[in-house]
Amino acid sequence: MDIDGGVAIDLYRTMKLIRAVELEIEKMHHEGVMTGSFHSSMGQEAAAAGVCSALRPPDMVTSTHRGHGHAIAKGVPITAIFAELLNKAGGVSGGRGGSMHLHHRASGFLGENAIVGGGLPWAAGAAWARRRLGRDDIAVAFTGDGGAAQGVFHETLRLAQFWNSPCLFVCENNGLAHSMSTDEVFGEAGTITKMVAATGMRSRFVDGRDATVVRDAAIELVSEVRKGSPAFLECAVFRVRAHSLSDPEYRYRAKDSGIRWLEGNDPIVRLRDAAPRAIQQEFDQVDEEVRSAVEAARAEAQAMEPADSAAALEGVYATPGLGADGAA
Amino acid sequence: MAQLKFAEAVRAAMEAELASDDRVIVMGEEVGKLGGVFTTTMGLRDRFGPDRVLDTPISENAIVGWAIGAAVEGFRPVVEVMFSDFSLLAMDQIVNLAAKLHYMSNGQFNVPMVIRMPGSGGTNHGPQHSQSLESIFAHVPGLIVALPSNAIDAYWMLRDCIRYDDPVIFLENKYLYFRNTEEVDLDDGSHGFGAKVARPGDKMTVVTAGRMTPRCLEVAGQLDTEGISCEVIDMRYIWPMDTATIAESVRKTGRLAIVHEAVGFGGWGGEVAGWAAEHAFMDLDAPITRVGAARVPIPFGTANEDEVIPTGERIAGNLRTLAGY
Repeated sequence: MDIDGGVAIDLYRTMKLIRAVELEIEKMHHEGVMTGSFHSSMGQEAAAAGVCSALRPPDMVTSTHRGHGHAIAKGVPITAIFAELLNKAGGVSGGRGGSMHLHHRASGFLGENAIVGGGLPWAAGAAWARRRLGRDDIAVAFTGDGGAAQGVFHETLRLAQFWNSPCLFVCENNGLAHSMSTDEVFGEAGTITKMVAATGMRSRFVDGRDATVVRDAAIELVSEVRKGSPAFLECAVFRVRAHSLSDPEYRYRAKDSGIRWLEGNDPIVRLRDAAPRAIQQEFDQVDEEVRSAVEAARAEAQAMEPADSAAALEGVYATPGLGADGAA
Repeated sequence: MAQLKFAEAVRAAMEAELASDDRVIVMGEEVGKLGGVFTTTMGLRDRFGPDRVLDTPISENAIVGWAIGAAVEGFRPVVEVMFSDFSLLAMDQIVNLAAKLHYMSNGQFNVPMVIRMPGSGGTNHGPQHSQSLESIFAHVPGLIVALPSNAIDAYWMLRDCIRYDDPVIFLENKYLYFRNTEEVDLDDGSHGFGAKVARPGDKMTVVTAGRMTPRCLEVAGQLDTEGISCEVIDMRYIWPMDTATIAESVRKTGRLAIVHEAVGFGGWGGEVAGWAAEHAFMDLDAPITRVGAARVPIPFGTANEDEVIPTGERIAGNLRTLAGY
């Protein structure tokens, strides 16, 4: 396999950063430092890294409840992500959103959305709006296979074709909608692509374990999307962890199935193994950079002031004079 | 000055805002070529073009979500949901995203969007085309809920709402669309969220909104001949709720009735009553009276509907009892 060394290093760094941040989040939970839900994207990093590597900074991304990887790949500062999870004022959403509500406009990361499929029309509408304003930015709407079962998925894809929204819909098919088998609902991976392709939308199905394959497909689709029409990309991935930290996955699959899959399929290892021997040393360097960056980011976030809970009653409305109490 | 019916006032408000601000767009089912099923967008597509007055497929949830995307990127969308009942299909985008986005992004995004919804009864449209959903929307933090009762308010409230930086649920009682012609001052009108004293009186305060306002005014005229003087307050907005105007009135009258078309149980009238019990108790000389729709689907047929929705007769009966205390 012939991989460009610079590209490989960049993809590797992004994936490694996602993995390291998410492992650190698990650690923070176990240590009792962090509360609330957390949905790990372990095993799916190549999709986030590959797709976002095809984007420009002003391009936009909407994401899902499992969206830390998308945020990191789009360039959201990890210190502000940790801070958000730790309920700090310096968090991306001021510490009032939490794990499923990362928003970072400056990075083009419009936001996660904790309602399955809920972020799709936002992305398509925002991309359409930018085009109307004369910009050539595009949007990527990440969803999962679960999202493909939602009405809003079909509504939005139709509307995006009807109104030529420069939006790339990326379905990370991890085989499970919580405990529901995607194979049973839709059929084997790739079926969702066939379904979308049948509507006339430009569609691709790729092996989401391979960051360079995802990236190449994304580059191709993004260049078409930038011309002013939507496209669809399904990435076959695997959910290594349980649905969330509190999910008793042993009730629907072998508890070690994630780890066993990772042993032979880890997208990070696959990329590294496929890369030229000459740059292996650089990977070690990246490992060290990522390790220290994550350590420093967590420490910095943990030292931040907590979000001012008195401010929890403020900021519901943008209109001056409208407060929580209804007084006008 | 213009002589306008309610529906014409709604249309004129959108036309004025489309003309004054390029960021304003109108979208919804049948709003373009057809001009809206209630003619409220008639001619707008011809004047402003299909890029600003957009016919949409029947996808309420995606349309609202799309409008959110456009709104945060600088547009000011006015979405028409053909009947307010259909807004329930868009509740995810309305409640989970539009209403919360400013707050949960810590102010990074504003959603300046109006969702217009013809609703409520009086037009024989049956159970899935006649609901009064204002109480449900008023319950959701992040939304502004407008319920105009006349053409003048329809015009100026809609113009105001298109300029607010927050999502607005703009409920239009379709029964009012073609009833009366009113003189609307197109250059100046009443702004802000305040309620309006629609008829002064001193025996009791009648708080109402939407199409129950003309009904209450009619009842008030009738009761006046019986020596019962009602002060009718048209709330205009269900949220924010102008309790100051109610307080001032109740201080004077000592009696409070709330009349609305939404279901009485869990209705916004309960919120007014609860507020008065907490904050105006010492001013009250009688128990608070609430008149709302029965907790029954709105049936087809005027006679059936009259059993469910407050009629002038039922309102008058309740107000007479209140006056008798």
